[in-house]
Amino acid sequence: MVDLAIVGAGPAGMSAALTASRRGLSVLVVDEQQRPGGQIFRQPPAAWAAPVRTPVGYRWGRPMIEECEESAAISWRLGHTALGVTAAPDRAGSMTLLMRGPDGVDGVPVKRLLIATGAMDLPVAFPGWTLPGVYTAGGIQTMVKAQGLLPARTMVLAGAHPLLILVAELLLEKQAHIAEVVLAQRSLRPSSLLSHLGAVPGHLGVLMHGGSAFGRLLRSRTPIRRGAIVTAARGDGRVEEVDVADVGPDWQPLGPTRAISADGLVIGYGFQPSTELARQVGCRLQWNSPKGGWVVSHDDHFATSVPGVYVAGEPAGVGGAEQSRAEGHLAALNIVADLGAGSPPSRGDLARARADHRRASRFAAMVQEAFEPNRQALLALAKPSTPVCRCEGIERHTVEQVIEATPFLTRANALKLECRTGMGPCQGRYCELTASGLLAAARESTMEDVGHFTGQFPVRPVSVSDIATARIR
Amino acid sequence: MPHSSRLPCPRGSQLTIVVDGSPVIAYGGETVATALLVHGVAAFHRAPDSSPRLPFCNMGTCLECQVSVEDQPLQRACLIPVRAGMRVNTVED
Amino acid sequence: MRSSYDVVVIGGGLLGCSLAWELASDNIDVLLLERDQINQHASGRNAGSLHFQLEYRMIQPGLEAARRAAEAIPLHLRAAELWQLMSREIGPDLGLSQKGGLMLADDADSARLLEAKGDVERDWGLDVRLLDGAEAHALAPYLSDSVVAAAFCPIEGKANARTAAAAIGRAAAAAGAEVRTNSSVTAVERQGSRWSLQVSLPGATAPARHVSCDSVILAAGVWCNELAAMFGASLPVEPIALSMTVTARTTSFIPYLIQHAGARLSLKQTEEGNVLIGGGWPARLPHTVAGAPDLSQAPEILVESLVGNADAAARVVPRVGSLSILRTWAGTTTVAPDQLPVVGPIPGVPGVYVATGGSAFTLGPAFAELLSEMVQGRSPSLDLTPYAVDRFASAVPAPSR
Repeated sequence: MVDLAIVGAGPAGMSAALTASRRGLSVLVVDEQQRPGGQIFRQPPAAWAAPVRTPVGYRWGRPMIEECEESAAISWRLGHTALGVTAAPDRAGSMTLLMRGPDGVDGVPVKRLLIATGAMDLPVAFPGWTLPGVYTAGGIQTMVKAQGLLPARTMVLAGAHPLLILVAELLLEKQAHIAEVVLAQRSLRPSSLLSHLGAVPGHLGVLMHGGSAFGRLLRSRTPIRRGAIVTAARGDGRVEEVDVADVGPDWQPLGPTRAISADGLVIGYGFQPSTELARQVGCRLQWNSPKGGWVVSHDDHFATSVPGVYVAGEPAGVGGAEQSRAEGHLAALNIVADLGAGSPPSRGDLARARADHRRASRFAAMVQEAFEPNRQALLALAKPSTPVCRCEGIERHTVEQVIEATPFLTRANALKLECRTGMGPCQGRYCELTASGLLAAARESTMEDVGHFTGQFPVRPVSVSDIATARIR
Repeated sequence: MPHSSRLPCPRGSQLTIVVDGSPVIAYGGETVATALLVHGVAAFHRAPDSSPRLPFCNMGTCLECQVSVEDQPLQRACLIPVRAGMRVNTVED
Repeated sequence: MRSSYDVVVIGGGLLGCSLAWELASDNIDVLLLERDQINQHASGRNAGSLHFQLEYRMIQPGLEAARRAAEAIPLHLRAAELWQLMSREIGPDLGLSQKGGLMLADDADSARLLEAKGDVERDWGLDVRLLDGAEAHALAPYLSDSVVAAAFCPIEGKANARTAAAAIGRAAAAAGAEVRTNSSVTAVERQGSRWSLQVSLPGATAPARHVSCDSVILAAGVWCNELAAMFGASLPVEPIALSMTVTARTTSFIPYLIQHAGARLSLKQTEEGNVLIGGGWPARLPHTVAGAPDLSQAPEILVESLVGNADAAARVVPRVGSLSILRTWAGTTTVAPDQLPVVGPIPGVPGVYVATGGSAFTLGPAFAELLSEMVQGRSPSLDLTPYAVDRFASAVPAPSR
């Protein structure tokens, strides 16, 4: 029996694992990547023998990764996918965490679970968003940083989030060609951008770095268009042209579009918490747009609504690596205290951890407010024939037909059941916001009223034979 | 000229995987997605409407990089490190 | 919502929607009340099997139990006809496909059981043919070599549990029924010869509404018990939770409904190509502190069921093993001690009817027809004595499963 299983080895998961194991808990960490760090600190493969590098401004990042990689006290399940939790004979005392690794599926009984599953790029459905050559900002960043891969020759970067500036800088450093950076904020000035650069999950405290990044971007003469939005990507089997329209302060297109030639389009409107595991476990969520959408509800101890299950980092509200690190530490101290095992935290330990967390959260809150996406404007980008659901190819007009034909349908789960949006391999992660946004708009109701998709086991696809041969302890 | 390219950086040792029956060069530590993109694969899989798809999120959430690996369908190419001789097939939905 | 109707149907699953459609089509003024959304519980969570052969759970206890269960075959036959009729009138959203169903055996004992079961079924007029291993493999080459016999029933098949109920709900609304979601019945009162129902909109600040009607039909699945209690009655059924699994799409290769005589398994492929795997593997119903089933919470998936069901599916159709599971879920249903449905008027409670006790997807259209007849004062077209609410004398024994 493991005292604490942590899903996610980013800043929240790593800091929780180190805190809990230093205090004597048996700790198991599951992450799909081959090395700890999370998306923000993705490293090249160990075999490439590159020194650990973390973004400027995170002095703690590198030692934390190194300590994790050297720690023999923590059971690492890297390259493993957490599939979900099923009921164990005594739910109160333990639960079974199922995970899939290279050798199949294991079910491990655990006393406490910490959900530190991070965030994903905010999905935005616009014409052509399924074309090869369209990448998320987070996606291209990890391709370049962790794989030494440049997945297009000429790129347009578009969105409304400061991560785009860091991606632009990274691409320029690799001598990639950026055709244009398109930012929706009309009044965005370098100075206001600078003051908010900590917004990227994990770039808190990198103001100086951000400032110089923006300066270098300007000096590079890379075209930067403020107050504009990408309305479509076009091409035959691959992005060839990107349509851009100028927008007003409400992000609504003002006039005709202009086409930019590019074979790559990078989209960065912000982030949404990865909450599928929390949903599967049955944790209560709440809608909080500045914090990224549906976030996991929790108390002061980071305990969720499900006994024994805790949350830290972006699933509790997108707030950056600094806040995630602080939350992981604080959640782990509370878990140690709650379990009554290992060496419990003193009141001073908890007070220091809370103060640390408060500091990180203050800045995160400011950034969340400044860069909350204009969800209505983004919803309007999808045209009738735009796929809302990438996996099943369910187009906007199909969703709207169902909504119109079924006046008694008012909730997202019913819409999913009725038109299959969210029933493909991505399990609804990329269509939920668009589908439920369309429903809320049609019914003149709110996202809270419409609700979120239920999360089901497994939170990532797994083969029937892997489940049939699962080793359950 | 392919759309995707390897940036100059230290890599693992060269090896060969088999993509749709043909040998493809890759380097230890690369993901299947990296090897296929650099090789110029135009569609990792196709959606129900036959539209081609390539990796989108590169972090295991979108499933657009799904390929079949060693006859096992729906494997996420962006998460799986290449191994010498690994059989990878792009997928027609 | 008006203040008076002829009939109020409580529950927006397949049965409730079918009732609303039947009644509205007969020009009865009907209101359908659903606390959640249409098709969110058992009707939208079951496997969508149109299984008319006796199921594993009915034949496993032995031939006597099978004979008793076979009394429901007239209902099965009528349901099979009604599904076709509804499909013609309502359209392709029902997803009806009756290409036949196979019940498999992979040892001599199970094969003998299939044979004996077939004799009973044919006595009741159900067309079932026994196939040997070679015939079964000729029909379904994807079956495992371990299959030694199969019973083939040509009228079996599937309907689309994902879309059928809402399609019928829309047809009911078009025929004049009023369909209300997010509306729960919170109190009932007898007023003269009519019932007055208090209807609340959960979470809404609006005050509760009152609706009066001649008749009330309980079509609320596991929630029939608590509704019956409002009317001062109790039903001889217990809630149970079962789990289901669905895989990613693949090329269509399984046209039949597949069941097993010696294992809990139902397997079929949807129109879109997903393989649906079920067969009665239990999930866990949460319980209140007092020990009663807590139907306000979602049932929990049991790891043994997950593994057992996947194993059963991959053994019978090996090709399913390589498919990826996208979702598992649990749904609830009810079961009576004799495994037969509970259909008809509730004794001692004038004007209140119920249908529950399982198989309300497969048999829903038949239940709807019979209840609609009774509500309209006609005598039911099938003998409902075996399904009477009060067929268990005095105390209700615990369910046998």
